Amino acid sequence: MPGVTEMSLDNMFCSRCREGFVPHEKIVNSNGELWHPQCFVCAQCFRPFPDGIFYEFEGYKYCEHDFHVLFAPCCEKCGEFVIGRVIKAMNANWHPGCFRCEECNGELADAGFIKCQGRALCHTCNARVKAGVLGKYICHQCHGVIDDKPLRFRGELYHPYHFNCTACGIELNSDAREVNSRPGYAANEMNELYCLRCHDKMGIPICGACRRPIEERVVTALGKHWHVEHFVCAKCEKPFLGHRHYEKKGLAYCETHYHQLFGNLCFVCNQVISGDVFTALNKAWCVHHFACAFCDQKMNQKTKFFEFDLKPACKKCYDKFPQELKKRMRRMYDLNPKRIPV
Amino acid sequence: MCTIARAMNQAPVSCIPAGKMSKAKKVLDEAREIQNPELDLADKSISTFEEMPGLLNMINVTRLTLSHNKIQAVPPGLANLVNLEILNLFNNHITELPISLSQMPKLRILNVGMNKLDVLPRGFGAFPVLEVLDLTYNNLSEKNLPGNFFMMETLRALYLADNDFEYLPPEIGQLKNLQILVLRENDLIELPKEIGELTRLRELHIQGNRLTVLPPELGNLDLVSNKAVFRMEFNPWVTPIGDQLQVGISHVIDYIRSETYRYVYNRHQSAKGPPPPIENDKSKKISRVR
Ligand SMILES: [Zn+2]
Ligand SMILES: [Zn+2]
Ligand SMILES: [Zn+2]
Ligand SMILES: [Zn+2]
Ligand SMILES: [Zn+2]
Ligand SMILES: [Zn+2]
Ligand SMILES: [Zn+2]
Ligand SMILES: [Zn+2]
Repeated sequence: MPGVTEMSLDNMFCSRCREGFVPHEKIVNSNGELWHPQCFVCAQCFRPFPDGIFYEFEGYKYCEHDFHVLFAPCCEKCGEFVIGRVIKAMNANWHPGCFRCEECNGELADAGFIKCQGRALCHTCNARVKAGVLGKYICHQCHGVIDDKPLRFRGELYHPYHFNCTACGIELNSDAREVNSRPGYAANEMNELYCLRCHDKMGIPICGACRRPIEERVVTALGKHWHVEHFVCAKCEKPFLGHRHYEKKGLAYCETHYHQLFGNLCFVCNQVISGDVFTALNKAWCVHHFACAFCDQKMNQKTKFFEFDLKPACKKCYDKFPQELKKRMRRMYDLNPKRIPV
Repeated sequence: MCTIARAMNQAPVSCIPAGKMSKAKKVLDEAREIQNPELDLADKSISTFEEMPGLLNMINVTRLTLSHNKIQAVPPGLANLVNLEILNLFNNHITELPISLSQMPKLRILNVGMNKLDVLPRGFGAFPVLEVLDLTYNNLSEKNLPGNFFMMETLRALYLADNDFEYLPPEIGQLKNLQILVLRENDLIELPKEIGELTRLRELHIQGNRLTVLPPELGNLDLVSNKAVFRMEFNPWVTPIGDQLQVGISHVIDYIRSETYRYVYNRHQSAKGPPPPIENDKSKKISRVR
């Protein structure tokens, strides 16, 4: 606050009007500069400073209001002046806390933003909105929008350029073909990708159902090629469309009907059990995979095991269970050790 | 083997680390020699991965069994083992898992049962081909599951028994391939109706919770055939369900499929009282010991 004093008036003059002072006249003193009270005013509106508060800029003093109007930016969101850190974005000024993603309302000041159809969005929302609005997909690998045609691989969609041809190594485009490289292997996780040229060199496949060439995606199973929509369950005739299928005697079945008709998938490898089957605890195992669920030690017809949540526990593992658990198990389970019925 | 050198006025020289090291190291050396892709390292008193030198470079390994050890931390580098299909960490002292595990391209079976997990890492649900996930006997609840947990569409078995769930998130309905769901001895107060969307379910364990009613949608599932198991004992069921349970599971299922039950259920839901008290005493669980 400037002080108001009375001093010797020789060679004292008002900083604004350059006039002297008459005796007993009030003088405003601010940092050694003197003013007539009527001259100590805002350089813009010529009114006294409310509460004596003023802002100085290039030698001139302004009231708070005019200083903001003239020099401080106004926040696009809340309309208040922005003092301190100003975010300049979308042709406007913002408080850091006011510049937010128009989808999720997350702060963008430090995370960065993307302009999407006149709106500021965070990276995540931008990808989602863009994909949704344009009916486009998100790449399963880089989570970016797929602008051109996506490449379907093992049930997911990708930018084709993330992959190379299994045969020649060339970067793929959306013409690439997904091939089930292990006939008879039920799941799609062994599928591989080939560029169109290499794929064609492998021979144009003929559909085992309709006997016509397959231009689109090929399913290879049962030693034949199939149109995706022509590779169907032998029982319900519904196409698998990339879902798991199970084979038996040259026919393919959906999981429901395979179970209904034949029953036995190994709990560990989830493959059809061709040889001996271990059946217990509402499950089946192939000879390689019948083992203690807790230490993976192989078991056979002679091994005694305990049941824990319908998983087999060998004696060694059961003995290692904490006392308090065994006490609770006693309430819930038949604790007699079992053997696989022969 | 080691010898303890003891000179006059000298303390005995400790040699435990070297002894421990050789036990696990021997298994690894043998496996490398005969190119065995399955590593059995159960019950070898291992407390850190440093006792298994070179393990993270053995990229041909398809199964790694480390049950019944004292491992506290799993290094992110374990994800180097890109051919790993089965990882068994049952009964260790693990409090945290690295997020890198969920990037493992071939991991189909993961057993982290009987550890000390309070949380799962963000993004944990990204496993591309995981089929069996065993989290039995930890300290997990719906409050500390990562957001993408139920995106694991390839799961066919999910073991969550002996944890602290009070509610099962409705997103459970997204696990379209789920055949086995074990929720024994949590603190479950209710089940979401979305459980009725798990059309492949053939094993459901909900015994030892605080459940009073079942969502009528559960009637959509085939839980009474000779290929199905449904365990629901030790819950404070409302009287009509409790009465049916006395005569058998199939009677419970018939009952919850009836119009009468739909009415009972709706009335029960609208006049919801306080949940039944927690009965399970978990203070002695070894997953709680710090
Ligand atoms: Zn002014
Ligand atoms: Zn603002
Ligand atoms: Zn991409
Ligand atoms: Zn090629
Ligand atoms: Zn066809
Ligand atoms: Zn079918
Ligand atoms: Zn098997
Ligand atoms: Zn065992």
